[in-house]
Amino acid sequence: MNLFFQQIINGLTLGSIYGLVALGLTLVYGILHIPNFAHGALYMVGAFMSYFFMTDLGMHYWIAMAGSAAVVAVLAILCERLVFHPLRNSPPIHDKIAAIGILLFLEAVVQMFWGSDFRRLSSPFTGIMNFDGLIIPEQRLLIIVGAFALVIALQLFLRKTMTGATIIAMAQSREGAFLVGIDANRVAMMTFAISGVLAAVAASLYAPINLVYPAMGHLVIMKAFVIIILGGMGSIPGAIAGGMIIGFAEAFGGFYISTAYKDIIAFGLLVLILSVRPQGLFAKGAH
Amino acid sequence: MLQLENVDVCYGSFKALTDISMTVDTGELVVLLGANGAGKTTLFNAISGLVKPAGGDIRFEDKHLNGMKPSAVVSSGVVQCAEGRKLFPQMSVQQNLMMGAYVHRRDREGNKKRLNEVLELFPILEDKANQPAGSLSGGQQQMVAIGRAMMSRPRLLMLDEPSLGLAPLVVRQMFETIRQINSLGTTVLLAEQNAFAALKIADRAYVMENGRLVMEGDREAMLGNEEVRKAYIGA
Repeated sequence: MNLFFQQIINGLTLGSIYGLVALGLTLVYGILHIPNFAHGALYMVGAFMSYFFMTDLGMHYWIAMAGSAAVVAVLAILCERLVFHPLRNSPPIHDKIAAIGILLFLEAVVQMFWGSDFRRLSSPFTGIMNFDGLIIPEQRLLIIVGAFALVIALQLFLRKTMTGATIIAMAQSREGAFLVGIDANRVAMMTFAISGVLAAVAASLYAPINLVYPAMGHLVIMKAFVIIILGGMGSIPGAIAGGMIIGFAEAFGGFYISTAYKDIIAFGLLVLILSVRPQGLFAKGAH
Repeated sequence: MLQLENVDVCYGSFKALTDISMTVDTGELVVLLGANGAGKTTLFNAISGLVKPAGGDIRFEDKHLNGMKPSAVVSSGVVQCAEGRKLFPQMSVQQNLMMGAYVHRRDREGNKKRLNEVLELFPILEDKANQPAGSLSGGQQQMVAIGRAMMSRPRLLMLDEPSLGLAPLVVRQMFETIRQINSLGTTVLLAEQNAFAALKIADRAYVMENGRLVMEGDREAMLGNEEVRKAYIGA
């Protein structure tokens, strides 16, 4: 029975990380209809910035995470201002190509500074908690609690503040948002900044139990796309639920079937769910 | 209050508006008549900053609106209630109305007072306050759209075909409310195809055809004009 609960913890850990990354992706898609492939690179830069702040500057884990979030938020805003904003009236394919360009560019820059070696981010939360035989590493607990806290904070921001509501308004009716005087540029920059923060925090939380390397964003962004398609493009609850579904499927599939197949499970689920519900679990507009 | 001088709008090589010159004075209710495709919505969008004019000048009080961002146009007091309503469908009625107060978001007391005034204009919205705006009937959605525009505290309210797709009884109530909004001090520019109902509440009117203003006059002159009666009133 403990092994079963162990998989629940593993599923929650993976689901929390996937959910955070997918949330940022779905927010940007909901507002600007940009499938931001560069989001995986922002995730990777987030991990490297935390690594840099901790290893090279000797900062504490929390301060390094906050610094990383700030740097990636600024980087995300720069991507919006310098690349996506000038392309706003271009055919949609231009956004996609530009996003892939940013992904490759950021990977090359990181590789230039840190090389392509695998690195490990140390965390002060290395202990293991034992709840009556159920073993939970502290870092995994931190990931779950941190991700839930961040999702709740984001929901409160979006639903209880006028500034947050502008993001939802823009996603529901772009023209309606213009008519009430919402500044589209401000909302776009804010949305990119939030997506950057989510990616950096997810990477900084997950890096201590994984490895840090320039290509680390590839599989995560692929899965984040699976999640937002599965949950419904642009849907916030869809991103959270989708993240959990993929996280649990990987944890249980990896344990009960084979870890060799755990990455295929996400894509198998995508095919299965889309053949039953082509619009995704939460249709667009479930904001 | 609002002055347009020789305004042109182009979509690529297609000229949607040609040499539009018109005025709206403070306190007036001016109607813009025209068939589908005449250019009424394009004109409203040009004034609102949603479309950039290719030439000419748009002035509101002492400000030039040309090239201004839509958010700046709303802040200056020119608010459009667009054709098709453009509500936030999953937000509640109350949230939609409060989003209308976005440019005045720091004045919480003022917004509360304004909300009460809007609910006095449309009492039915009070009962529907927590319902998603997208689930309301067409008439009620139009009330939310006008209410949301009123929450922006417009000095000039531009209404683009508010009667479109509504039942005759609801249309009558809608025009009565528009007249009431105007009598309470808001200047109104109303684009309509329902010429008879619109002219009944108007001070003046312009007629648009193929992107040009082809006629203007006060209510009596328009109601008495044979061409207008034939083309728009059907009598």
